[in-house]
Amino acid sequence: MSDVANDRSPDLAAVVRAAFAPSKSQKGGASTTSDLSIDEELNLHAIGWEPVELVSGYSVFSTPVGLWSWGQGEIVAATEAHAHAFANAISRIHRDAAAVGAHGVVGVAIERSVYSTYTEVTLLGTAVRPIGAGAINASGLFVSDLSARDFSRLMIAGWQPLGLATGASFVYAPRRTMGAALTQQSQNIELTNYTEAMYNAREMAMERMQQSALSMNGTGVVEVKVVEGPMTFASHAIGFAVWGTVVRLAAQSHRPMTPSMVVSLDDTRVAFDAATLE
Amino acid sequence: MSDHVNDLPEATERRLEELEHGLFTSDLSVNEFLLVKEAGFHPVGLVMGSSIYHTGIQTRKWSQSQELTKLTEAMYNARELAMNRMEEEAAELGADGVVGVRLDVNYYEWGKDAAEFIAVGTAVKAEDGVSRRNKLGKPFTSDLSGQDFWTLSQTGYAPQGLVMGTCVYHIAHRGLGQALSTTGQNVELPNFTQALYEARELAMTRMQDESTRLGASGIVGVRLEEKSHQWGSHTIEFLALGTAVTRTGDPVTLTKPTTIISLDN
Amino acid sequence: MPDSPTPVASATAGFSSGLSVADFAACLDMGLEPVGLVQGFCAMQSASYALAGAQRNLSPFAGQGGYVETYQCPHGMVAGEHRMWGQNYEQLWIEQSWRQGFSSALSRMLDEAVAHGAHGVVGVVDTQSALAGAGIIEFHVRGTAVRVNGVGASNDAPWTTYLAGQRLAKAFEAGFAPVSVVATIASVRVWAYCITEYLMGGGGIGGWSNTAGATEIDQLVRANNQVRELVRASARAELHGDGLHGVDVRIVEHEHERGDVEIQALLRGNRLRRVGDFQALRTPDPTVRLS
Repeated sequence: MSDVANDRSPDLAAVVRAAFAPSKSQKGGASTTSDLSIDEELNLHAIGWEPVELVSGYSVFSTPVGLWSWGQGEIVAATEAHAHAFANAISRIHRDAAAVGAHGVVGVAIERSVYSTYTEVTLLGTAVRPIGAGAINASGLFVSDLSARDFSRLMIAGWQPLGLATGASFVYAPRRTMGAALTQQSQNIELTNYTEAMYNAREMAMERMQQSALSMNGTGVVEVKVVEGPMTFASHAIGFAVWGTVVRLAAQSHRPMTPSMVVSLDDTRVAFDAATLE
Repeated sequence: MSDHVNDLPEATERRLEELEHGLFTSDLSVNEFLLVKEAGFHPVGLVMGSSIYHTGIQTRKWSQSQELTKLTEAMYNARELAMNRMEEEAAELGADGVVGVRLDVNYYEWGKDAAEFIAVGTAVKAEDGVSRRNKLGKPFTSDLSGQDFWTLSQTGYAPQGLVMGTCVYHIAHRGLGQALSTTGQNVELPNFTQALYEARELAMTRMQDESTRLGASGIVGVRLEEKSHQWGSHTIEFLALGTAVTRTGDPVTLTKPTTIISLDN
Repeated sequence: MPDSPTPVASATAGFSSGLSVADFAACLDMGLEPVGLVQGFCAMQSASYALAGAQRNLSPFAGQGGYVETYQCPHGMVAGEHRMWGQNYEQLWIEQSWRQGFSSALSRMLDEAVAHGAHGVVGVVDTQSALAGAGIIEFHVRGTAVRVNGVGASNDAPWTTYLAGQRLAKAFEAGFAPVSVVATIASVRVWAYCITEYLMGGGGIGGWSNTAGATEIDQLVRANNQVRELVRASARAELHGDGLHGVDVRIVEHEHERGDVEIQALLRGNRLRRVGDFQALRTPDPTVRLS
């Protein structure tokens, strides 16, 4: 890339005029489809990659009736449904991407819903590859929820995404006995058995995510999303789910980027909130 | 801050061991991750602490403004427990600090006086091997984002700890007579003003005390949150949060920032 | 520097434009002269082929072509409330009606653009809203018609794009020219058979329920993957070798009654034609915002 070519086109209007000159159209070639915005595509191109095709994966798993209401320890079927729904949705988007000769999928939008009788995972993203590159062995194909912009920034810094790592655990919250509830009523006290239940769910979920990251030979998981807390439809169940993109350093060493500072002249949002006065 | 014995569950220790062998997890965005690297740190793991806490009941006098010390204590202790557990996890990882700390409260349907307090953040370690722990020998904590963390590092200041102060305050209801006599008038309610002042003041002072204990020279990014939680509208928690900082070196010469207008909507 | 620019307000009248100030500024920079706000409408009523529930329990619907899959009850039970048959089928009549409505509204907008002597329409927005009762959908397509400075009148239909402002400028810089907006839908109806029904809701039908553990619901998985594939295939058919960029896919699920689900996938995107070599963007400078 020469510096001259990189400079902003001095006459955009001329470029636009030329774009509609009859002789200029280069038809033919394979059509591509992508849900990336133009600036994201330009970002990808800046690192030598291009979009190939829009790809998706979906899975829904049923969980037994009455599963959430009573029990002890981990709610195994719920945890399995979550893990399998993720795994199947990922393998389907992976298969879609492999079929169009992609090297990876970026910007995967993840929708995940846990209902009392089923758990659903929907993935939609854009399959990408280095410009003009041929297909690779499908085992080397990555699926990542990083945006195209984050993907290119990571690549510039010398890192590469390896895939999505997920982990989840659902546990029953222990019930307090009537006696305990009464004596605790007026006290400040930590409810240690609940804290423990929460920790168990978290440890199992994090451990599962870390195991899947290690199995991809990753050295890190970035942009980890954490969804945790009580289930809305079952008062005595606690859920903890995490997912993120597994990365490893591909270059010899991390490449620093030395950012510069900018002051935005956009108006900041009004910070005053009348509701706080009531 | 009180010293706690290491009370991390066994499973946690096992998971943290894995992290020591090279894998890191982090809820930082890619931009934050790269900026933390830029500031000379490497993420070592997503660390968390939580505590499910039952807050006692305290009777409030209808017409009197007062601090509810028992609730204040509960709100403080529960967060402190969560924070300490998070710090312990970070210490276990050999981290120098925790960035991007978020403190959340979840309520459960069972037990309306029970709440889950959580502290989540990304533990980081200095790449040059020099310890950046605070005066108490503990990893520093901070609620600064990766962007703010980098900017702070450019100024020659280093975070020492996330400091907080809280005060749960009951604001008196007005007597019926008072309410009637002021109907249709614009008047200041001095009792209200006084109560709000005092509660905020208490929360801020407590936060500053924590900062002094850390030997910090200042607090940046102070936020004052007001929440009614589940106590009704006249009982309010005032929570002051900020990152205590201290000067550790000369500022990197800052380039003059460029002014921009963003064209995206 | 650009050639002497044509005055924005043409001799006849002023212009109206739906563009924001930033987008308007970018348009002028590109040598695109806004000539007017243009729009088109169409109201469509789609035919209905849905069968009554009890009837479908006993015999499958033949479908109208397209994607059809039939699932048969393995239990050998014959009862009105037991779902002996289940089906996934593409609702071709709904897809056709939708596409017809959209393209009519679009071509009416283009007629207005032609009347303005425009070369193209930027910043297109389309909405579909259900009119009260009777399954009538109103299609509305609008945008800002523009003339390209320094290009003469043309007999070609005006080009259209959802893009406006800097995004459009970047597309030109990247060597693309807009061809048209692409919007299409796919609609798949799922009539659950007994297995799917008990997996979804768990039990109720003759005591059947999922007690086995986590089980994938095959009929729904097939329907959901198919509807996404169908909508992409439908969009691909309109490309003729061009690329589709900035695609947005929305999935809407509607449960008409228990175990009778309609899944619609709505896809929008910009059909762009490559007219020059991709000009690689200079690697953007990383910045940190101070305010």
